[in-house]
Amino acid sequence: MTRKRGLLFRWRRFGIGRSVLLGLFLLFVLFPFYWVAVTSIKPSSDYLAMPPVWFPAHPTIVHYVAALFAYRGLAGLLNSLIVAVATTVASVALGTCMGYSMVRFGTGGRDLAFWVLSQRFLPPIAVVLPIFLLYRSFGLYDTRFGLVLIYTVMTLPLSVWMMYAYFRQVPRALEEAALVDGCGWWGAFWRIAVPLAVPAIIAAAAFAFIGVWTEFFFALNLTSRHAFTLPTVFRSFLSFQGAQYGESSALAVISLVPSIVLGMLVQKHLVRGLTLGAVRG
Amino acid sequence: MDEMIPNEEHERALARELDAWLAGDHSRRHVLAALLGIGAGAAVLPATARAASRAGFLGRQQEQLLEQAAAELASPDTPLGKAQADAVAASTKAPTDGSAYRAVAAAKGKYNNVSLALTYEAGLQALEPRNFSGPLWQQLTGMNYSVVELAHPDLYSKAITEHIAGSGAYDVLDIEPAWIPSLANGGVIAPVDEYVKKYMNEADLNDYHPLFKYLPLYKGKRWGFFDDGDQLELYYRTDVFGDPKLKSAYEAKYKQPYRVPTTWDEYSQVAQFITDQLAPNVYGAVHFRKFGSPGNQYAFCQEFRVNGGVFFDAKTMQAQLATPAGIKTLEQMIAANKASVPGNNDLDAVAAWVAWLTGKSAMHFSWPPTGRMSENYSQRSKAINFVPASKIAGKVGYAIMPGKNGEMASGFVKAISADSRNPEAAYLFAQWQSSPPISLVRVMLPYTLRDPYRISHYTSPIYRSLWPSAKDYLLNLANAANFGITDLIMPGWQDYALTLDRMCTAVWAGKDPKAALEGADAEWNATTRKIGVDAQRAAYQEFLKGVACYPDHTVDAMGQAVHLT
Amino acid sequence: MSGGIGAHGLATRAARRDGRALLATWSEQHIKWLLVAPAIVLILAITVYPLGYSVWVAFVNFDFLIPGHAFVGLGNFAAVLGDPVALHSVVVTAIFTVADVGIEFVLGLALALALEKTFRGRGVLMAIFVVPLFIAPVIVGQFWSLLLQRPFGPMDYILSVILRHPVTISWLTEFPWDFIGIILADVWQWTSFILVILLAGLAGIASELHEAAAIDGAGGWQNFRFITLPQLVPMILLAVTFRLLGAVNLFDTIFMMTGGGPGTSTYTTAYYLYQTGFQQFHLSQATAGSWLFLILVSVAIFLLVRRLLKVEEA
Repeated sequence: MTRKRGLLFRWRRFGIGRSVLLGLFLLFVLFPFYWVAVTSIKPSSDYLAMPPVWFPAHPTIVHYVAALFAYRGLAGLLNSLIVAVATTVASVALGTCMGYSMVRFGTGGRDLAFWVLSQRFLPPIAVVLPIFLLYRSFGLYDTRFGLVLIYTVMTLPLSVWMMYAYFRQVPRALEEAALVDGCGWWGAFWRIAVPLAVPAIIAAAAFAFIGVWTEFFFALNLTSRHAFTLPTVFRSFLSFQGAQYGESSALAVISLVPSIVLGMLVQKHLVRGLTLGAVRG
Repeated sequence: MDEMIPNEEHERALARELDAWLAGDHSRRHVLAALLGIGAGAAVLPATARAASRAGFLGRQQEQLLEQAAAELASPDTPLGKAQADAVAASTKAPTDGSAYRAVAAAKGKYNNVSLALTYEAGLQALEPRNFSGPLWQQLTGMNYSVVELAHPDLYSKAITEHIAGSGAYDVLDIEPAWIPSLANGGVIAPVDEYVKKYMNEADLNDYHPLFKYLPLYKGKRWGFFDDGDQLELYYRTDVFGDPKLKSAYEAKYKQPYRVPTTWDEYSQVAQFITDQLAPNVYGAVHFRKFGSPGNQYAFCQEFRVNGGVFFDAKTMQAQLATPAGIKTLEQMIAANKASVPGNNDLDAVAAWVAWLTGKSAMHFSWPPTGRMSENYSQRSKAINFVPASKIAGKVGYAIMPGKNGEMASGFVKAISADSRNPEAAYLFAQWQSSPPISLVRVMLPYTLRDPYRISHYTSPIYRSLWPSAKDYLLNLANAANFGITDLIMPGWQDYALTLDRMCTAVWAGKDPKAALEGADAEWNATTRKIGVDAQRAAYQEFLKGVACYPDHTVDAMGQAVHLT
Repeated sequence: MSGGIGAHGLATRAARRDGRALLATWSEQHIKWLLVAPAIVLILAITVYPLGYSVWVAFVNFDFLIPGHAFVGLGNFAAVLGDPVALHSVVVTAIFTVADVGIEFVLGLALALALEKTFRGRGVLMAIFVVPLFIAPVIVGQFWSLLLQRPFGPMDYILSVILRHPVTISWLTEFPWDFIGIILADVWQWTSFILVILLAGLAGIASELHEAAAIDGAGGWQNFRFITLPQLVPMILLAVTFRLLGAVNLFDTIFMMTGGGPGTSTYTTAYYLYQTGFQQFHLSQATAGSWLFLILVSVAIFLLVRRLLKVEEA
């Protein structure tokens, strides 16, 4: 009897602690979203009110218009989309080829795998200066193409690794059947392995896209008036324009949309994506 | 010319609605509805189309047409509209020997396929070329343009980045005069003397206030045109300083007259007194002290030199910040911070304006837009909508800085990129834009952050009619410039300035002033060593020869003061 | 070419067919390398070549304020090591890294344990918790500077209400609050990273173990200490190393929230190198510093990558 009550008591205590922890963390996660969303529709006269205006009496969309047009948010948005899509395609295509080769033919062995993976952890600050100097001599500075190149390299280890992990699970027998049918390895790769890998390809693509969408440092240093991406637009809200609270919030809200949608999309592959396949979720 | 004035009735209605909204007469919903009604064709569509063109959806031809439709001119029966009509006339009719006319004549039709890239500080500064001078220049000459918006420090660093990258991405650069030595030595900007000889009416070069006149000159060459009179002045509340109760209380306490302060010690003393008396309704002062926005270097250099400080030992080039003058300066600044609006050290320049305009402060020293915003002149423009309506209109007085010598803080020079593929076109634009009739409009547009710098600006009857005390405002600007002192104009200023901003913000966060000054000295010496001690010694000698390097070399001290009435 | 089906045309076509067949055979034989070649070439071109080039930059003078590219030996390295701000930035980076990852680990572990058993709404909670992982860090910095900056941000007001006395903290301009503010932003974004990995780890621990322990009379804490924790160690190491390598590059939130200030209080190494290289254009000094930084973190990179490889080989 006493033992049973003790268990119940302990469970209850754990339950309360658990609810409080989860509730507080939920609040912690949600509050910034709320504040930024409300700020983006606040008339400027509400900015400095004390106590803060928790919801404006007269919501406005002027900040969105200003953020998109006056601050060139729209152009940044388009650049971000173009660069992210192009990078995703390139990264996943190269990653699929490489991952397949490494699994089926053991290409490069451990050394190649090590080398590709370690690219993922190169500190951006260590490579950005030489890349800048390289880009200036090849006319790649401030071009979307230049950004796509560096982003492809940046996202490649993850793509390769996710595809590598996936192909390891595809039984060799399927492709061997294709070989017997006279397809050759190219046929086996293209007609059997790739179609089978579509779910993994989609997951890898989503992670590549998010990687590019959230990147700031390379874009900051390798672009200026033409190829600038959405995150770099936030730079305009520094120094003298720091008080453009509504505009910066509006732009933040806009840039959140793809993040949230893609975040939902990759839930299933989250663990694997975050750990370069080291943990199978 | 008629087709250039896009629907006066619309403009007027728009202004009425916005004024009403700013004054709080209408609900937001009503104003939005009204705006949509008024602007269905005239405002909303061009805005969308302009956005589309900016995003690169439209060809050059359409872009040009749209940008033309977008030139924002006021009705000619308003003072601004009158100045704009004058500017257009000076560009197209007469005087034919004026710099504006000659620039247009030389550029017209010759550069139809050229698109000039103009760097501008992001946000407010960039509104002017976007809405006025850019489209107007395009209409007058057929030349295309694009405005590149950059955060203030990026106006320096991105210009250099593009130069190193050799991209030729920028044509006309907006730069601080104090950057000229670095940028000229580094080959980022090109001298314009040849063009001046060919195109400029040199009389227009004498229309500058003497403080600004020589700033674009370096190593015997001209590197552009001065274009923004960023002289700091003191703005104060006449109601607070005219309050008889405060007056008697102050005079009883300090045995000194209660007045607008003339020294830095008096400044913090008066500020503290007002805070003690009136807080939390009104505080003594408010400052922009936040790191990098736009930086504490200006305020420090200003007081440091008033306190007798010198930057370097002219022989050894050792930095001289950790001296009694340096310590006194930081102590005075700390005292002023303490006497200010709560959170003073977290404010950037715009947030400080917000505090001032909402009546939270009795004094504020800042750039000249302060005066225009205080009288609600700027807020007529929807573009400046994040600045609240002024609650202190009609209650603002103008004075020169405590200690007499205010910083000519930053300022802008229009320079030509050495990598520009169309240097002549870029030059002609800069000449036209800074010419007397065009620049007059640019320093009086409601949303502008460009400030008067020509004698003809200070004396313009149009400008003087903008609000009741506009004349006093202009006279004070000119007088403040008589006593103004410049930034440290020599190679490496950006590095020296960064050190000062870091030093000040560290002190605001609690670091010991003496230790901070010694750390700054070490950083300055490292910068000097890096660039070369001998080279910097020579550069410092150049600086010492310049106008307004120290309080004993101001325009007034050199006997060149401008006395206007 | 000639348009007719002359002997010449036939021969060309046959040759072309032969050529194509040859190519097909060749490509079939070398498929393994053909598949990896594009990726390898790209990585070589975009990172390896520039890194090699940067070795040269590190040993010459490449500085906007000083003309020419004279060889200066180890001068650039000496300039970095002699700059007190550089050394300070390493300390700041270490503080942020340890504090960020430490707090994220403790909080992430607690949350993982709280979420271990399924309950109604768990899926929704997880879906919300992971959203910050997909937001650009620069925007996270913007979020938190909007929340924390005076006078606009609501943080001081909220604290005043909770604590029932006026709170006037300058979150972005006063030590140690500037550190706390930046850590808050980092914890907000990355705690879920640890959470997700540890949750996967917890799911992998066989439930029989817990049941056996319960039968042996082990309590909650003992169960955790002797069963869960040892089983979870590999996952913990993995998650923490990943975060460490992310945290040492801390830049975006600093850039948006404090700009390294007040003073150089919040200069991380990445921020210092950016400031030196891209704002002041002492390119050689920054490059030399980048190399030192790379050497410092490469040990951690080496260990983590080896660990990742082991997982795949298992």
